[in-house]
Amino acid sequence: MTGNLLLQHRCGAARALSALIVLLWSALPAAVVAVDARDGADAEPGITRGDSPACMRCHWMETMAYRDRETREIVNLSIDRDAYEHSVHHELACGDCHERGYRRYPHRTTTAEEGLTCVGCHEERQGDERYSPPNLAGFDIQFQHSVHALEAKEPGGTPFSCFSCHNPHSFKPLPNDTPVKQVVAANNGLCLDCHTELLTPVPKGHEWLPRPQAHWSAVRCFDCHTPLEGRDLYAPSHELLGAAESNQNCVECHSQGGELLAQLYVHRAEQEREQKGLLAHAVYNDAYIIGMSRSPIIDRIGLAVVVLMVLGIVAHGFGRYLAHKRKREAR
Amino acid sequence: MSALYLYPVWLRLWHWLNATLFLTSLATGISMHFSLGWLIPFDVAVPVHNAAGILLTVSWAAFLIGNAFGGNGKHYLVNIRTLPMDLYRQTRYYLYGIFVNEPHPFHVSAQHKLNALQTLSYVGVMYGLMPLLIVSGWAFLFSGELPETLFGFGTIWLVAMAHLLLAWMMLLFLVVHVYIITTGETPTTNLKAMITGWHREKGTSG
Repeated sequence: MTGNLLLQHRCGAARALSALIVLLWSALPAAVVAVDARDGADAEPGITRGDSPACMRCHWMETMAYRDRETREIVNLSIDRDAYEHSVHHELACGDCHERGYRRYPHRTTTAEEGLTCVGCHEERQGDERYSPPNLAGFDIQFQHSVHALEAKEPGGTPFSCFSCHNPHSFKPLPNDTPVKQVVAANNGLCLDCHTELLTPVPKGHEWLPRPQAHWSAVRCFDCHTPLEGRDLYAPSHELLGAAESNQNCVECHSQGGELLAQLYVHRAEQEREQKGLLAHAVYNDAYIIGMSRSPIIDRIGLAVVVLMVLGIVAHGFGRYLAHKRKREAR
Repeated sequence: MSALYLYPVWLRLWHWLNATLFLTSLATGISMHFSLGWLIPFDVAVPVHNAAGILLTVSWAAFLIGNAFGGNGKHYLVNIRTLPMDLYRQTRYYLYGIFVNEPHPFHVSAQHKLNALQTLSYVGVMYGLMPLLIVSGWAFLFSGELPETLFGFGTIWLVAMAHLLLAWMMLLFLVVHVYIITTGETPTTNLKAMITGWHREKGTSG
């Protein structure tokens, strides 16, 4: 799995995880039977294994939701069965993560505080050869320095977790043959789902950026909104930066560009090659970014030498013309 | 009046095909590099530039094969022994003799169709700049396979700068090449030869 973590999920739906464990309403008082998380994991998908069918008797419903008393927002508790079955977590039964407190209906509020985190779950299962989930500890360190985490820690800050952006019930990295434009759209969709204030012709805070819509269809938000230093070409940072710290320097992309450019370049080149094959990749390779090859020094020297050469040629040609004229007159 | 059949059909076809590909690469490259959407739209310039670059690679390989098996390779062999004097004579002619109607110091023949300066510049371009330009172009296309850094610099940046520098040098070559071919017996003698294959001169010393 590359670190691109190309996600398909929507911020609003993602809030469902924390709310999932706060069922306030249920029509079916079926008993939930806890089972060993690994029982039959190879035999059948998680959604039909163990306690999952009992959970899904309610949670398959698209209208499964409630209004949060504090925030007054609708909290979606519905699980898209098809999306789950195609997600990276498809092998897991509900009880593999939601381990306790679901016997009562409606589920108790305290159940919601079971404190599930992506990092914790993945760390606990590092030794489990059956699932061998990627270690997310590095992402967590980055995330703790992100603008989202820092703002959440401030008094009155909105809680923010992995689930604010990533829905574990449908999370699936985009396959490498996904067209670049779709990759960019999926990534940026994560941000723009919440940052709806940016969905304007001249997005707030991006007034300096020429043709913002063209940029947003070509590069990922985090290409500018993560630190330039220490970039991993294959694992974009989760240290999302606020406006003040983000890259606003055009030449970071549109010139030699170093780190930022390299990350974009690798991402695109890899995607396209896998998608189209070797030769087609070479022809339809759209990894070139305007200005990436620009070097003011080389351009000026090159232009100066060529212009001088042309002037020299004009002078030379004029000299030849005069010589030719003299020769003709001599005849 | 003398007439020499210097350029066989395959060579002329190759030359003009190569020229077309080179000009295409140049125009699209300039459009991409300086963001000149009015010259060639970016979306068109990129795939055309890539395709022209790939075909230029094929064309260059054809040039090598043609030289190796078509007998054309001998014109690119530099005679080290006579080179200094040939270069002096040729340079002196271009800088002085040509203005006082001196006879051309080099006489085209079936064995020697290129003068010393031409030989040196063509060898430099076709065996030096061109392969480097091709390699840097392919490196662009498959940048995902490159190491992240090379000699402490970002590899992609090095590739980009090399490609840019080589492109400028090739443009310079093109400018000089187009002018130098006008220095035959008449301004169009050499051009006509590359079109018809026949190098025709009225005088014997042209």
